Amino acid sequence: MGKKQVRPPRALPPVPSAIQDDIPLSRPKKKKPRTKTPLASASSEGLVQTAVHRPPEGSEPPTKDSIEHQEAPVQRRQKKTRLPLELETTLTQKKTASPSLLPNENGINVEPDEEPVIQKPRRKTKKTQPAELHYANELGVEDEDIITDEQSSPEQQSVFTAPTGISQPVGKVFVEKSRRFQAADRAELIKTTEKIDVSMDMKPSWTTRDVALSVHRAFRMIGVFSHGFLAGCAVWNIVVIYVLAGDELSDLSNLLQQYKTLAYPFQSLLYLLLALSTVSAFDRIDFAKTSVAIRNFLALDPRALASFLYFTALVLSLSQQMTSDRIHLYTPSSVNGSLWAEGIEEQVLQPWIVVNLVVAVLVGLSWLFLSYRPGMDLSEELMFSSDVEEYPDKGIKVSS
Amino acid sequence: MLQTSNYSLVLSLQFLLLSYDLFVNSFSELLRMAPVIQLVLFIIQDIAILFNIIIIFLMFFNTFVFQAGLVNLLFHKFKGTIILTAVYFALSISLHVWVMNLRWKNSNCFVWTDGLQTLFVFQRLAAVLYCYFYKRTAVRLGDPRFYQDSLWLRMEFMQVRR
Repeated sequence: MGKKQVRPPRALPPVPSAIQDDIPLSRPKKKKPRTKTPLASASSEGLVQTAVHRPPEGSEPPTKDSIEHQEAPVQRRQKKTRLPLELETTLTQKKTASPSLLPNENGINVEPDEEPVIQKPRRKTKKTQPAELHYANELGVEDEDIITDEQSSPEQQSVFTAPTGISQPVGKVFVEKSRRFQAADRAELIKTTEKIDVSMDMKPSWTTRDVALSVHRAFRMIGVFSHGFLAGCAVWNIVVIYVLAGDELSDLSNLLQQYKTLAYPFQSLLYLLLALSTVSAFDRIDFAKTSVAIRNFLALDPRALASFLYFTALVLSLSQQMTSDRIHLYTPSSVNGSLWAEGIEEQVLQPWIVVNLVVAVLVGLSWLFLSYRPGMDLSEELMFSSDVEEYPDKGIKVSS
Repeated sequence: MLQTSNYSLVLSLQFLLLSYDLFVNSFSELLRMAPVIQLVLFIIQDIAILFNIIIIFLMFFNTFVFQAGLVNLLFHKFKGTIILTAVYFALSISLHVWVMNLRWKNSNCFVWTDGLQTLFVFQRLAAVLYCYFYKRTAVRLGDPRFYQDSLWLRMEFMQVRR
């Protein structure tokens, strides 16, 4: 109660007035027509008065208020203009949103008066906005106080204390958004704040282990992509080589001339993809645990086989680096300082083509092995859910 | 206790350095228009490896296991990574020195010998293994068990002592 009597300052909210300074330019005309109609103007004035002069007149009956409205025109005009603005901006929304709530709070106090009073509730809620905003910050605590106030006050002090008990129980809270106050459900606000609390509580569950696990899974995705891409690239490469070389490798000089710009870039790309694929395949068998890896390999586990094939392909591919560079620097044998002496072509290219073919086959096979069960990942099982027996709670969390 | 945000940051830095390493290993042979380009790439690559070594050791120091004085346990668990990283670092530097030495005058000439080819293959293979082991270690160090006393830690300690 004491709090409510302190409210008077609220009646002249400094912030809204600043807002109004900007707004009037666009909207004043709309408001004036409204205020000019006798009923409406009287009501609005009345509202203003009760709201604004509440503190000093706290004990006076409402009828006096209406008399005063007529006596003090100037100040009221100013306030009048202010209030409509507020109405437009905030209360219009409020009307639509919470028609039932407003009557509840004010209805009891105001009913003795006539029609205009019905609007009163809206005004008052406006006036209470600053307070409500304040409460919005401390929703949990204030709500309890509000309920008790409402129950005790309304019937006993029906006429006189209109402003005091009324404003509190509003279901709406006015939140300032982009320089306007907008109605929001108190219940919703509480919910959102609760949600925030909940999320704060949940955060700790996102542990470093989860980060590691998500990174591991992300890398596995990259690995799955690189397996397929590598297989496709290798097959494409070998097809291009055989097409360029002609029937039974009869046109090797043509192959060299055409392929020399491609040789080194492809070698680089092959290494990149092979490295990614090999690491990814190692991940799947948890290569670091040698005993497990060897056991899996001996058991002809597809993942272990794929890892072995990838590693072999990597070694073979790397061993052709020198030849690739030689192809890259190809100049016809007639040119001075050529690396390609007459007749050496077939001797150099034959093994190179065979190795490329083998690499393509190995890579294709590995891809088949791995794509047979793309979801299987031994290192995830071993690294992240090991010792489940010792830590049943953690183990469950991780395995899920 | 290791903070999730800190760990994420460190992990992303490690992966950044690893991917740079992979990139240079893959495409340095292509980017040899001028010897200086390769030189800079190689220097940064070596520094990246060095940084990665420093980071992984800092992560070790940050574990409860290390702070409790169980260095041997840590070394036992991650000796593969430590040794391999050191070997890879040595191989990288030697290959870089050799290649730059051969190519400094003319970056576009054929410099390959059997020795260089062998070193090249070993260095690149070590790079793949290093990438795998380092990644695995970095991910494993996210395990909260390394940052608190636990039954698991005690049992591990007993195993190592035996």
